[in-house]
Formats: sequence, C-alpha cells, structure tokens
Amino acid sequence: ASGRCPCPGQGVALGLCWGRCWSGVPGTPRCPVCVRRDLTENPLTPLPNGSFLGFTRLQPLLPSAVPLALECPGGSGAWDEVTTLGSSRLCQGQRNPCNAWPCPENAACAPAGPGLVQCLCNSPFHGYKCLRQGTFPVLLFCGILGAVTLSLSLLLWGTQRRKAKIP
Amino acid sequence: MALPGSLWRQPASRGLVSHCTHHHIVVFLLTFFSYSLLHASRKTFSNVKVSISSQWTPSCLNSTAPELRPYELWNSSHLFPNAEEATLFLGTLDTIFLFSYAMGLFVSGIVGDRLNLRWVLSFGMCSSALVVFFFGTLTEWLHFYNKWFYCCLWVVNGLLQSTGWPCVVAVMGNWFGKAGRGFVFGLWSACASVGNILGAFLASCVLKYGYEYAFLVTASVQFAGGVIVFFGLLTSPKEVGLPELGADEDGSVEEDANRPLMGNDDADDDDRNYSIQATDTDDQPKAIGFFQACCLPGVVLYSLAYACLKLVNYSFFFWLPFYLSNNFGWKEAEADQLSIWYDVGGIIGGTIQGLISDVLQKRAPVLAISLLFAVGSLFGYSRSPNSKPINAVIMAITGFFIGGPSNMISSAISADLGRQDLVKGSSEALATVTGIVDGTGSIGAAVGQYLVSLIQENLGWMWVFYFFILMTSSTVLFISPLIVREITLLLHERRLRMLAE
Repeated sequence: ASGRCPCPGQGVALGLCWGRCWSGVPGTPRCPVCVRRDLTENPLTPLPNGSFLGFTRLQPLLPSAVPLALECPGGSGAWDEVTTLGSSRLCQGQRNPCNAWPCPENAACAPAGPGLVQCLCNSPFHGYKCLRQGTFPVLLFCGILGAVTLSLSLLLWGTQRRKAKIP
Repeated sequence: MALPGSLWRQPASRGLVSHCTHHHIVVFLLTFFSYSLLHASRKTFSNVKVSISSQWTPSCLNSTAPELRPYELWNSSHLFPNAEEATLFLGTLDTIFLFSYAMGLFVSGIVGDRLNLRWVLSFGMCSSALVVFFFGTLTEWLHFYNKWFYCCLWVVNGLLQSTGWPCVVAVMGNWFGKAGRGFVFGLWSACASVGNILGAFLASCVLKYGYEYAFLVTASVQFAGGVIVFFGLLTSPKEVGLPELGADEDGSVEEDANRPLMGNDDADDDDRNYSIQATDTDDQPKAIGFFQACCLPGVVLYSLAYACLKLVNYSFFFWLPFYLSNNFGWKEAEADQLSIWYDVGGIIGGTIQGLISDVLQKRAPVLAISLLFAVGSLFGYSRSPNSKPINAVIMAITGFFIGGPSNMISSAISADLGRQDLVKGSSEALATVTGIVDGTGSIGAAVGQYLVSLIQENLGWMWVFYFFILMTSSTVLFISPLIVREITLLLHERRLRMLAE
C-alpha cells in the first residue's frame, strides 16, 4: 500500500520533499496513517538541521527512512535501532529525548521530532515564558470598582460638595 | 515610652478636637488616599520589575545549551538581549521618573495654589492613571515594546504625578492649621507607606495573571480615586462657610509650638533682609517666590538632607523586592509581600518620632538620633541571613529608622518651614517650600536610582548598602547645623527660665 501522499503535519518542513508514505491502515488510500516517514527521495543532503521540527505536530516519534548516504534524523543516537533496508537506512524506535532535559519553571519537556525537544507550558500556565496563570476577572473587577466609585462619589457629593459655594 | 500627656496634648489635641468636623475627617481621608493611590501605582512598577524584565528578554541560557523551543514561547521578545540590560533600563526609568517628578514638583509648588486644587489633583490622578495604563497594560496587549515610548510615557507620568503632593499638602494645610500640625501631619504622612503597602498588595494579588494586570488594577483604582476626589473634596473650609484658618487661631500656644521648629532668633536676625524683601512683594496676597522660599532659614539644609535621605528611602522601595528575589532567589510575589515590612516600620517610625518631636518641640535631634540608628540597622540588614522572618524583622527596623525621618522631613518639617513667622500670611509659601524640599529630595532620589543600579551592576549588593550608609551619614551631616542651633536655643531658653525664676 504505497502511494505518494503527504504525511499529515509535514508540509511545513522547509521544503523537504517526502517520498512515500506507508500506510498501516488498509482501505484508506487518500489519507493514510503514517507508520514511517520516507526520506529516501529527498534531494537535500545533508538534511538541514531543525527541519525535523515539522514532525512535532503529529506523531513525533515516528520511524524514518533515509538514503544510505545520510545519517538518521537527529543522529543515530536518537534512535534505538538503525537498520539497512535495500538502498535506504531505516531508523526505528525513536528515543524520547526528554529524559534529562531541563525546562524552565512552569514548563515541561515534550518530544519535537528525532533528537529534538520543546518546552511547553504546564496546564494552568500560559503566555510568553509561561509566566501567566489563569484569566483576570475583568467583568467582576470593573463591576466592583465602578459600583464603589459611583456610591462613594454620590455619598461625598451629597455630604460634602453639595453645600460648597465655590464650584 | 512614657509620654507626658499634658505636654503634647496641649499643642496637638486642642486644635484637633475643638475644630474637628466631619469635613475634616473626609478631607484627611481623601487627601490621604489620593496620595496613597499615586504612590501605589509607583510601587506597582517596582514590584513587577522581575516580570517585566522577563517579558522584555529572550530566555537566558548558558551558551552551551541549545535554544529553547518553540521560539515564539521562549525567545520572541528581543527588547533587551539579557536580564542585566533590562534591569539597567528599569533603573533608568526610575531615574527618568524621579527627575521629571522633581522638576514637576518645583513647578507644581509654584503653580499649585493659583489653580483650583481640586481640579488639579483630580486631573493629575486621572491622567497619570491613563499614562500608567498605556505604559503597562496597553503596550503589553498590543505587544508593542519600544524603549523610547516607555521613556516618554514615564517622563509624562512623573510630571503628572508631581501635581499630587503639593495639592494634598496645600489642602491639608488649609484645613488643619498650626495647632496640632505635628500630630496630624505625622499620622497623615503615613499615606506614602500605606500607598506602598496598597501597591504591593494589589500587585502581588494580580501578578499571576500577568504584569499588565498589576498596572491595570492600580491605574483603574487611581482613576476611580481621581473621580471621587473631583466629586467629594472640599479644598478649603471657606467652601462650606466654615471660618478660614488664620490670624484668630494664632494663639500663644501655637507660637510656642512653632518657634523652635523653624530656626531661632539668631536666624531671624540673619534673615531679616529676606523678610524685608518679602514685604516688598506683599501687594499681592499670594506673595512668596521661588528664590525667596529657598532663602528661608532651614529650607536649603533640610532640602539637602532630604535629598540624601530620600535617596536611601526610595532606593529601598524601588529596589527592595528586586534585591530580595535577586539576592535570595525568593519568588517575586513573596518578595513583594515581604517588602511591606519596610513600610510598616516607616509608618510606626514616622508616627512615634513625630510624637516625640512634638513633645520635645524639637525635630532635628530626633531625626539625628534616628538616623544614627539607621546606619546600624542598614549594616545589619546588609548581613541578613537567608531567612524570611529574620529579614522581615531587620527590614521593619530599617524602615522605622529611615522611613520615619523621611516622612517627618517631607511633611511636618516642610509645613514648619513653609509656615514660619517670616512668611506669615502667605499661604503660597507652604506649597512652594514643600515643592522645594520634596523636589530636591526627588533629585537626590533620582541620582540615587541610577547610582544604585550602577553600583549593583559593577560592585554587587553589599556596596549598595555601604552607599546607603554613606548617604544616611551625609543626612546627619546636613542637619547637624540645625541640631547645634536647636540645642543652643534649648540651653538659651533654659537659662532664661532659670533667670526668670
């Protein structure tokens, strides 16, 4: 079951041309589920560093196949098993590089492709550098402040300035 | 502390109790909270420094570590390459603010009484709240970070905020006359510290939502305060038909209370020419000019002393949270809450020292003794261990001995100087003298902020404390002529009394 079709989430990767996408699910020819990324027909050598960030969106730990002349994406250290299959090198068992990866406060490591990691905010945190937490209760704040201002202004106008001679 | 009640109640409470109406209470509270809110928005800025410098810089990692991903989340902000430069810029912003604030004070002091105090105060609060909103909230919402824009906004903010202090002091001066000034102003000058606490509290409450909300909250509350002032403040007793404070109140008790505080007979002799000058311009009821105010006895010395002291005091409230989280690695919100203890010390110090100076009817010796203790407590604080309770205690003690005298000079002593016999009948002098003292102090504080960031950058925090100790000692040096004067006067009086007996 091989046909030329893009694996999902790969279009963004720096003009890399993906070869075949081997589907593991029979009967779904148009959008097969990727079981492996095949880079054997990729004309770019060596593969530009960081191009595998495109793997982050879907199934970052997918096996890859590359031409024999090339190293496995992220280096062979990023894979458990590197075998030769005909004219291509098959890289399988992508290691999770997050094991000893220090992320800043409020963020956790997530795999981002072979040999690559990213740090994403932990659940309640968001925003730049994960500094923010929760949502400011704008309506509540405005309501309370407005009510207090109005009542205090009225009270003070009534007791103080209403009798004032000079405007 | 055994206060001989009969001694201090006589000058202080008589005027207070006999003339106090609900208008007085409302005016006291309104002016108090107006200035508190202005101070709160300044304090907010110092309390969110760590968050802002994070927001302005890419993630700092050592050069060997690979870059953090995704880029948008960790490295997209490039206003400054690292936290050190952001810190330097924040220090520069403090300096800019204080310089424009100082310039504004000199002008506001002169202009203040010529306009409607209520409008000026209300305008100052609302417009400066808007500027703070632009500075902290709008730029963040729009992701518009620009150094020059920040600088411009902070200059404008300094000018607008400077309308606050002369206005509130003038309104207080209109309502609370010479009787009981020491006590009322002593209590009232806690407004700055209360503002610090309020600002720190508001900031630490909403900082988790993002620093922009800390600015949003303080700016909104300040704006609301401006609206309330506009509708509620009576600037003078004559607005509601109450008798104005004036000649009828100048009883002998008050004369006695004032005289020792504002120089002495020798000074009167020395400065007679100034009073002659002042009478030249007596055709206008509003009288005293800037240079005449400068030449009043004690004004220059207290201004210089206040320049040194305000430097230390403001450095504390601008840099304390940053120091705590930088030096001890404590979280910013915790550091903010902890830094409240400095202001608590300042409030208690200002009130107690104000009372003591009322009892003694001498301010300079109280200041000097307090400042000598301040040197010791600064030394102790610089060696504070990495323990929050111990740090808080030493911080409160430092606040007691530094914030207290600082409050006293800026309010009670300014009022003494502005209301001395030489300018009697000129209500304008109070705002002008207040402007001069506070303006000079703010220049000192402005220079100090820059020096503190430089010293911290190049020599470390310990030298910052040595610098504080030096400045506190200089304050004592500047008021020492006044101490000598007051003590000789005290001895002179005692000799006279003995002769009379």
